[in-house]
Amino acid sequence: MAFLEVHKVGRDFPGVTALDDVDLSLELGRVHILAGENGAGKSTLVKLLTGADHPSRGTITIDGRDTAQHPDVFNLVAYVPQELNLFPHLSVAENLFIPYDRSDFGGLTIDHGAIRKAAQDYLDRFAISARPTDLVRNISVSDQQLLQIARASTNKHMKVLILDEPTSSLTRTEVDRVFKVISGFRDREHAIVFISHKMDEVFEIGDDYTVLRNGRKVEAGRMAETSEAGLIRAMSGAELELEQNFRPVKQPELPEETILDVKGLSGERFEDVSFTLKRGEILGFAGLVGAGRSEVMQTMFGFLKPKAGSVTVKGAPWKLGDTSHSVRNGMLYLSEERKHHGILPMLSVRENIGISILDETLSKFGISAARERSKVLEIIKAYDIKTPDMEKKIMFLSGGNQQKAIIGRAMATRPKVLIFDEPTKGIDVRTKAEIYKIMKTLAEEGVGIILVSSEMDELRKCSSRIITMHTGKITGDFDAETTANETLVGAIFGTETKNAA
Amino acid sequence: MQRNPLASLVANPLAGVFVALLIIFGISALLSPYFLTSYNMSVIARSLAFVGLVTIGQSMLLILGELDLSLGVIGGLCGIISGILMVNYGINPVVALGLALAMGAALGFINGILVTKLRLHSLVLTIGTAGIYGGVTLVLTKGVAITGIPAEIQFLGRGAVYGIPVPFIIMLVVLAIGTFITLKTPFGRYMYAVGNNTQAAKMLGIKVDRVRVAIFTLAGLLAALAGLLMVARLGTAQPSIGDTWVLPPIAASVIGGVATTGGVGTPLGAIFGAAIIAIIENIIVLFGVSPYWQGVVSGAIVVLAISFDAISRRYIRREG
Repeated sequence: MAFLEVHKVGRDFPGVTALDDVDLSLELGRVHILAGENGAGKSTLVKLLTGADHPSRGTITIDGRDTAQHPDVFNLVAYVPQELNLFPHLSVAENLFIPYDRSDFGGLTIDHGAIRKAAQDYLDRFAISARPTDLVRNISVSDQQLLQIARASTNKHMKVLILDEPTSSLTRTEVDRVFKVISGFRDREHAIVFISHKMDEVFEIGDDYTVLRNGRKVEAGRMAETSEAGLIRAMSGAELELEQNFRPVKQPELPEETILDVKGLSGERFEDVSFTLKRGEILGFAGLVGAGRSEVMQTMFGFLKPKAGSVTVKGAPWKLGDTSHSVRNGMLYLSEERKHHGILPMLSVRENIGISILDETLSKFGISAARERSKVLEIIKAYDIKTPDMEKKIMFLSGGNQQKAIIGRAMATRPKVLIFDEPTKGIDVRTKAEIYKIMKTLAEEGVGIILVSSEMDELRKCSSRIITMHTGKITGDFDAETTANETLVGAIFGTETKNAA
Repeated sequence: MQRNPLASLVANPLAGVFVALLIIFGISALLSPYFLTSYNMSVIARSLAFVGLVTIGQSMLLILGELDLSLGVIGGLCGIISGILMVNYGINPVVALGLALAMGAALGFINGILVTKLRLHSLVLTIGTAGIYGGVTLVLTKGVAITGIPAEIQFLGRGAVYGIPVPFIIMLVVLAIGTFITLKTPFGRYMYAVGNNTQAAKMLGIKVDRVRVAIFTLAGLLAALAGLLMVARLGTAQPSIGDTWVLPPIAASVIGGVATTGGVGTPLGAIFGAAIIAIIENIIVLFGVSPYWQGVVSGAIVVLAISFDAISRRYIRREG
């Protein structure tokens, strides 16, 4: 008998069935991969597993007890959400043990000494470098991610640990730290649910898997008995050419032209960055989180202020420090922080896209609703944005569709330079391929494209050239097709000196 | 996807508050035979006009994610200034009104510049500037009203066209312009973008600070307009003008579907909200209930409206 058993569970919301006839069984001492595209029902299922929501039908049994009769067994389940939800202004130790009564530090006064001591034990166990007294807002993202897991594990009753994309903003070394922690729990007879869109990670850590598609379970089994292609087929319901290469092909009719020329650009966290972007190519930027890639891009775009250096676009000097100028003159930056820098959450899909085509929809009597609707519909179709209708608030769309809406919106302004910063973070495999295709088409049409990514695989698949950065400096400029992975990784970690291809 | 009518009503807060307004209007008409008399209607319209002008500005600030607590005292100070210019200096009333309006815009502009340049929270900043502007009023008047406002401008506050009070007509014109700006112009879209997500608005190339300053300026101008109309109505420039224009416009906006967190709502909805408050206050008077109850009732409506909003939002989220 499995430790946690989901049997024929369904969940209906007014007008939609989010889950139907789903089975899932978790065993102690094993890592279970929960796979599915964005919107397949993973989050809904997780909510049922944690007791945050209740099934419309079917049963969930934990440790042999039906949760409908014994809701208290949900305290055996700990959940670490994808988004960081720590208290930034409280210390590491306080974050670990809040609420205090749960962690036996309850009472009228808080014994800070005891808390700090207990916290240090956890920090050691999870190899978190921060100190118990550090404020959470001052510690690194990977430490925050680990701290979230550590916090979940302060629940002494925990037997099931659910991790929702715990690695989406981590680099490879940091992922290894998380995996070490996960293996530790597995070896101590916990059941782990691991959700990730990164195939290599899933195969590295997973023992069993369950695939959801459109709210139904479509496949389950042992990881050892499936393959990457098999898993993707189950998730998407279609065969995908995974190994496809998305590098733009040189268009002979487009004359060779330097679109962007950056000379000696310095700013907060990076210095003396120089590179060029030619028409028709996708220029990849590789590096660790914190290498300064996003800062370079945001400085070119005008969101951050430069300290020195100059940028030339199509031969003309480029004004820095003014995003409005950049947008008007054809440079766009699509941030990795979709939520914080991308969408206008409470506005509709129409308004989100419509805001960048106002000069086309403006008539004598203000914005023409009819013209706007038809233009937006074109973009929705062209970029295959899945939404019930264009009046839906964009916050209700899946991450992948939000991203496509943002790309569609950006493209409507016909930019000369388009900067993608981690465009596929948290996005399922199929949508990823769609975004790669869009980038390739744009590049072939003559738009200069910069791709900042932490996924080496993505950079290799899409880029014409790859520039590597390490602690704020460019460490190399490589041909994406011919350079060995080790060379690139070396440049990212700063172990090799400049080795331009 | 099937949607039930309640859900779509809830999803469209403007329709929701309009229905609420109709229901309250209907109930009031049933409750009191005096309610629908033309005299009573014009009383409501007149009181709605003044607070309505401030509400239009305040709701646009709230959509932007900002707030200006000094709008009431801006109205009061500009009223006083117009009185001083006309009475003490004998300046032509049209010129005096123009100067006072410009001053309202300038005071709003100052709020906007301080909020954007110093990156201050508008709530905190405008508590401060409200103290200053209100203090100046008292310094100038020593608390005494300025009498002898020229009769020719009193039409603006007291007159009526086809029985409709002039200030109400002015408010409707301003509302029409405000609604056009918010819903039909690029500037309006930028307003919502900033209110939704300032960072994203910057990424879209919107001049965020410029939008903010513009709306602060507009709100100041409208508050001054309300103050001047009130002076015209009273025939005296009283230092107490604007005292009741601080919280009711915020309450009206909230009732009308403007989120205090910014990004959603319309000035039209806010005016519906103001109308609901005005009708309920009127009914209290018609029933001879002590006016001291007004605060209790309009406070209760705000609590009711935001509870309804919070509950319905949860409903929508589950659906979405």
